[in-house]
Amino acid sequence: VRVSAWAALAITVVVGAMTYAMRAIAIVALAGRAIPVPLERALRNVGPAVLAALAFNLAAGGEGDAAGMSWPVVLAFAVTALTAWRLRSMLWSLGAGMTTLWIATALIT
Amino acid sequence: VGRGWSERIDRRAIADCVPLFLPAIPFGFVLGLAITEGQMPMFIGWLGSPIIFAGAAQLAVVTLAGTASIWAVVTAGLVINTRHLMYSAALAPTFQHQPRWMRWFGPYLLIDQVFALVFLQSDRPPAEFRRYYLSVGLFFCLNWQWTVALGMIVGPVVPDSWRLDIAPAIMFLGLVVVGLQRRPQVLAAAVGGAVALATAGLRDRLGILVGALAGVAVGALAEWRVARAEPAVDVEEACA
Repeated sequence: VRVSAWAALAITVVVGAMTYAMRAIAIVALAGRAIPVPLERALRNVGPAVLAALAFNLAAGGEGDAAGMSWPVVLAFAVTALTAWRLRSMLWSLGAGMTTLWIATALIT
Repeated sequence: VGRGWSERIDRRAIADCVPLFLPAIPFGFVLGLAITEGQMPMFIGWLGSPIIFAGAAQLAVVTLAGTASIWAVVTAGLVINTRHLMYSAALAPTFQHQPRWMRWFGPYLLIDQVFALVFLQSDRPPAEFRRYYLSVGLFFCLNWQWTVALGMIVGPVVPDSWRLDIAPAIMFLGLVVVGLQRRPQVLAAAVGGAVALATAGLRDRLGILVGALAGVAVGALAEWRVARAEPAVDVEEACA
């Protein structure tokens, strides 16, 4: 069913406004307030936890039974993690991961 | 006399952006293709780029619009973006030292890639952090607009065999590992990734939120154990 221009605009504006609110709420609400040390330390782990979750979820692909990592992707992830850990370089880890993915895809599938 | 724009830009920040932006290009093309094939008017589909500025949520909105109720479309977009709440919480201590205008404008730019880059720079002095953050954020924001527009034209041309759909995941994994410094962070990342993978079948990418919450919880537990162990270490060091 074709969506009218007004309905499409309303959806876009509502999702945009709520997305901004989610990005801003803690930054604006916690301004000028002392953050307890245990909370501040716990917040340091949010980045690694969310980004790792994002990486594995994106790599798993679809929804339901279709979700899962293929062997080429598993191998690419292993090489990416190893390269990033040893070299501490985003560019090298991306290059190594993608190269592994292409080679493994060509060999396995 | 104010400084020129070229002097205000953090060139290292732009260099950091490039390897993260390259994997975003095919994603922008996929989104552009979805806009052209979706049920929304094309211009409003593209307008989601400056208004929502979140690729996965935009993709959900343009894909679902016309095939689900308006509330289902809105809810899907918001569920996908829930992780931004955690980005906001994680950066709140750093933003405490920023001026008011930055605390209100900065969050608009807070997408996955921006968070991944700026989180590693949280220890910088406030002015330097602000320069880095704005350079990174505006780079992604401005380039995202033309990428999606271009994707509406050339999206169908990129061959699937390039597997560029996996590139963002590999990039995020590399970023996580590069930034790991302490044991609680390693545990948080390992548990977050494992749980997100185990729950990847959930609808609307809810597995990201479930995995992230599990990782944060385990990380907090590890922090608590480290904090408990620290006084004992101090005593040992004092005795030595």
